[in-house]
Amino acid sequence: MGLALVVALTLSGVSRAELQETPVFEEDVARGKLPKVDERLPKEPAIAELETIGTPGGELRMLMGGPKDTRMMVVYGYARLVGYTPSLTLMPDILKSIDVEDGRIFTLHLRNGHKWSDGHPFTSEDFRYWFEDVAQNTQLSPSGLPISMLPQGEGPRFEVLDQTTVRYSWTRPNPLFLPDLAAASPLYIYRPSHYLKQFHQKYVEKPKLDTLVKQTNQRNWAALHNRMDTMYRDDNPDLPSLEPWILRTKPPADRFVFERNPYYYRIDKAEHQLPYIDRVIFSIADGKIIPAKTGAGESDLQARYLRFDNYTFLKASEQRNGFKVKLWRTGPGSQLALYPNLNVGDEIWHGLVRDLRFRHALSLAIDRHEINQAIYFGLAVEGQNTVLPQSPLYNPEYRSAWAKFDVSEANRLLDLVGLAKRDGDGVRLLPDGRPMEIIVENSGESSEQSDVLELIRDSWRRIGIRLFAKPSQLTLFRRRVFSGETLMSIDKGIENGLATAAMSPAEFAPTSQQQLEWPKWGQYYETKGMAGEPPNLPSAIRLKELYGEWLAAVSEKEHARIWDDILRIWADEVFSIGTVAGVLQPIVVNAKLHNVPEQGNYNWDPGAYFGIYKPDGFWFDHSEMPAKSASLDASPATPQ
Amino acid sequence: MLGYIVHRILIMIPTLIAISLVIFTIINLPPGDYFSTYIAELQSSGEAADLAKIHFLQTQYGFDRPLWEQYLFWVGGLLRGDMGYSFAYNLPVNQVVGDRLLMTFIVSFTTILFTYIVAFPIGVYSATHQYSWTDHVLTLLGFLGLATPSFLLALVLLYLANVYFGISIGGLMDPRYVNQPWSLPKALSLAAHLWIPVVVIGTAGTASMIRRLRANLLDELQKQYVVTARAKGLHPFKLLFKYPLRMALNPFISDIGSLLPHVISGAAIVSVVMSLPTTGPMLLDALRSQDMYLAGSFLVFMAFLTVIGVFVSDLALAVLDPRIRLQAGRRQ
Repeated sequence: MGLALVVALTLSGVSRAELQETPVFEEDVARGKLPKVDERLPKEPAIAELETIGTPGGELRMLMGGPKDTRMMVVYGYARLVGYTPSLTLMPDILKSIDVEDGRIFTLHLRNGHKWSDGHPFTSEDFRYWFEDVAQNTQLSPSGLPISMLPQGEGPRFEVLDQTTVRYSWTRPNPLFLPDLAAASPLYIYRPSHYLKQFHQKYVEKPKLDTLVKQTNQRNWAALHNRMDTMYRDDNPDLPSLEPWILRTKPPADRFVFERNPYYYRIDKAEHQLPYIDRVIFSIADGKIIPAKTGAGESDLQARYLRFDNYTFLKASEQRNGFKVKLWRTGPGSQLALYPNLNVGDEIWHGLVRDLRFRHALSLAIDRHEINQAIYFGLAVEGQNTVLPQSPLYNPEYRSAWAKFDVSEANRLLDLVGLAKRDGDGVRLLPDGRPMEIIVENSGESSEQSDVLELIRDSWRRIGIRLFAKPSQLTLFRRRVFSGETLMSIDKGIENGLATAAMSPAEFAPTSQQQLEWPKWGQYYETKGMAGEPPNLPSAIRLKELYGEWLAAVSEKEHARIWDDILRIWADEVFSIGTVAGVLQPIVVNAKLHNVPEQGNYNWDPGAYFGIYKPDGFWFDHSEMPAKSASLDASPATPQ
Repeated sequence: MLGYIVHRILIMIPTLIAISLVIFTIINLPPGDYFSTYIAELQSSGEAADLAKIHFLQTQYGFDRPLWEQYLFWVGGLLRGDMGYSFAYNLPVNQVVGDRLLMTFIVSFTTILFTYIVAFPIGVYSATHQYSWTDHVLTLLGFLGLATPSFLLALVLLYLANVYFGISIGGLMDPRYVNQPWSLPKALSLAAHLWIPVVVIGTAGTASMIRRLRANLLDELQKQYVVTARAKGLHPFKLLFKYPLRMALNPFISDIGSLLPHVISGAAIVSVVMSLPTTGPMLLDALRSQDMYLAGSFLVFMAFLTVIGVFVSDLALAVLDPRIRLQAGRRQ
C-alpha cells in the first residue's frame, strides 16, 4: 500500500499537466477580474486523494433548521490547520507541514502563496494578529487565551520565524493543542488580519472607529470587532475565509448561498482546483418538516435533522425522487445512558449510588437486547457506555462488563447491599422505610428517551425497583442535576466513542460540570476549587489523576496505556449505565452525487459530520442534466 | 366626542406600560437567560460553546445587572425606536423582523379575504334558509372546518400538493425564488404555495364566522320591523341588505381590534408546521430560546397594534351605529 502510494505520487509529479481553469471562473479570468488559476493556488497546493476524479460544476442543496446553522458550512467544509483523515489520524491540511518537539514545541509551516478568499496573502501576520491583538486584548477576550493553550495555566511563547512559519512553545507538553485545531468547532489561532484591522482600536483612529460603531448599532469597538469576527459562526459574508465555500448571502435570510472559494488550496490529481461543486445552498425550514422535505427530493445531501425512525419513509421515496439512502454509524458511546447522580442531595440515596454493587445491579437488570430489538430493529450495538468497536482503544470486555441481562444476580447484589425488605407489591424498601422509587429525569427532547425508559421500567420492576420518567425542559433539567436534586438522569452517552489515544479522555474523568454523573466534582475541577466539591470516591480520584498523567504524557504509547487504565476503571465502576450504541444515521444522497462514502461514521468530533470525508471532493454527474446547471431554472430534481 | 378620543388615547399609555412590564417579567421568569439556554442546547448536541465569546456578550448586554435596570434599558430603547438586539440572529431586532412582516401581511390579508368571501354568502344563505337541507349541509361543513385541527389539515394538504402538483413542501415559494428580486414566476410560485396556508388558516375562521353571521341575522330577521317591511312589499334583497344585515355587522367591526395584531403575527402553529417565513415561528423560537429583546419588542409591538385596533374599531362603531354614538353622548 505504502509503495503503491509513493509510485502514484511520483507518477503524478512527472506527468503533472497544466492546472485547469474552473468553468465558472473562465469569464472572470478572461476579463481580468480574477487572476489565472495557477496564480490563485498556493505554490504547493494540497493534493486530494479521491475515490473518483470528478467534473466541476453544479449546486448542492441542503436543508437547515435555522439561520444559526450557517456554521455547518464551516463544519462540513472542514478546512483546518491540521485535520483528521477518515481513519482518524491527524494530518497537516491547510498547513504544509508541522514539526512537534517533545509534545511542547510546535512549528507550523504555511503553504507558500496561500491566499484568503479575497486574494490577500495568508501569512504569519494573521497568526500574530490573533495571538497578540485578539487573544491577549482584555477587551476582545476578557477571559484570555483558550484553555487548550494553557497547560497547567501557562501560555505559550509565540514566535514569527518568517512569512510562512510560526512557532508556539510551551514549557510542558500540550496534547490538547493539535486535536483542538482539528476539532469540528476548531480553535482558530489565525484571523484575516487585513480585514479585521479596520475594526481594531490599535489600527484605526478613534473618531473613524466611533462613527463605524454607531453606524452598525454596536456598543463599542470590541463588540463591533467580535460581530465581524465570526469565523466559526460564519454569518458575515465580508469576512475572508479559507473554506471551500464562502457565504454570499447577508443574514437574515431563509436561503443561504455559499459560492466556491476561488483561492482554495486543494486540487485533485487531474489538476482541477477543488471544490468541484460551484455553489452550496442552505434552505431554512423547521427541523420537524425537514424529513418530509428531504423525502420530497428537496435536498441533495442531508443527514442533519433526520433520525433513524425516518428511514422507512425515506427509503419509500428513494425511487420517485432520485436519491439514495445510506446508513452510517453514529459516534456516541451509547445512544442513551443512565446517569446515577453521585452528588445527589438525599443522604440515603447518596450512600446507595456510591455503592458499586448497587450500580452493578441496576446495570444487570437492563435487557439491552430487548431495547435493541424493540426500538432499533436489532441494528445497534448493545453494551456499556464506552468507546466503540471502530476505536483503536476498543476492548470487547469493557463494552460487555456488567451488561448481561441477569435478574437473579441483580437481586442477589441488592440483597447484599441491605435492601432485602420489600413492601406488599414486592418493591424493595430503603433503610428508612421509603419504597425504592427512582425518578429518572430527562430533557424531554425526544420520545426515544421515554420509549427506552418504558422498557427499563419493566425489567427493573423484577428487581423490586420502581422507575418513573420525568421529562422537563433542557435548561431546567441540567440545573436540577447540577444542584443534586436529581437522583438519576438519562441522556446521550459519552460524546466521542471513536476516540484514539491522542484524543483527550476528559469525558471519563470528573473535569466538567456538564457530566451528569458527578456535576459537583466536575465543577470543582473547572473552577479550580472555587465551587463544587472535591471528588471523594477513590476510583473517581484515580480517574482524575490518570487524566492529569495523560496531559503530561508525550508518547503515543504512554497515552494509549493511560487510556486503557481509564477505560478499565470506567468499565468496572459503571459510573454511567449504557444501553445500545452505534445507532444508524440515515444519509440521503442525490443519486448523481459521487464520492460520498457508502459506509461512514456520522460523528461530531472527531468527524465534523461530513467534514472528514472532505465534501470538496464530492461531485455531480452532469451527463443527464441540462448543460446550464449554474443558472436558476436548472436547479436539479425539483419534482414537477 | 373629542374629549372621549383624548381620554382614550391617554389611557393607552398606562396600558402599554403595564403590558411591557408583564411581558418583561414573563420572559424572565424561566431560569437562566438566552446564553445559558444556548450553551445548554449546544452542549446537548455535543458542540462546545465558545465560552469566551458568550461571556463577552453577557457583560456587553448587561445580563449581570439587576432586572429593573435591564427593563429600563429596554423600554428606553423602545421609546427611541430601538427594539434592541437579537442574540440568535446577531442582528438588531428591526432587521430581523423587517423581512418577515411583508410575507406575514400577505398571508394574513389573503386569509381574511378568503374568510370573508366564503363566509358571507354562506352565512346569509343559511340564515335566510334556516333548517333547509342546504343549511344543514353547509352547517355540517362549517362544523367540520371548526373541528379539524388545522395542523393536521396542513400536513395532509402539503403531502397531496407535493405528490399531485409537485409543489415543494413548506415555505411560501419554491426554494430557488427565495432572496431573488420579485418577478412574475416568483409571484406565480407564491400564488401556487399560498393557497394551502390560506385554506388551512382560513377554515377555522370561516366556520366560526358563518355561525356568528347566521345567529346575528336570525335574531334580526324575526324582529317586527322586518315583518313590517316585508308586509309593505319591500323587495326581499333590498330589505335584507338595507336593514337586518347591517345590524348583524356590528360584531365584525368590533373584531377589527383583534384583526390588526393578527395580520402581523399570523397563525403561529400552522406556520411552524408548514415552515412559513412569517413572524409566528420567529416569535415562538425567540420565546423558547429566551432571545428576550426579539420576543419582548415584538410582543410590545403587537400589544400596541391591539390597543390601536380596539380604539379604531370603537370609533368605527360609533360612526356606523347611531345608537352607540347617542348613548355615549348621553353618558357624558
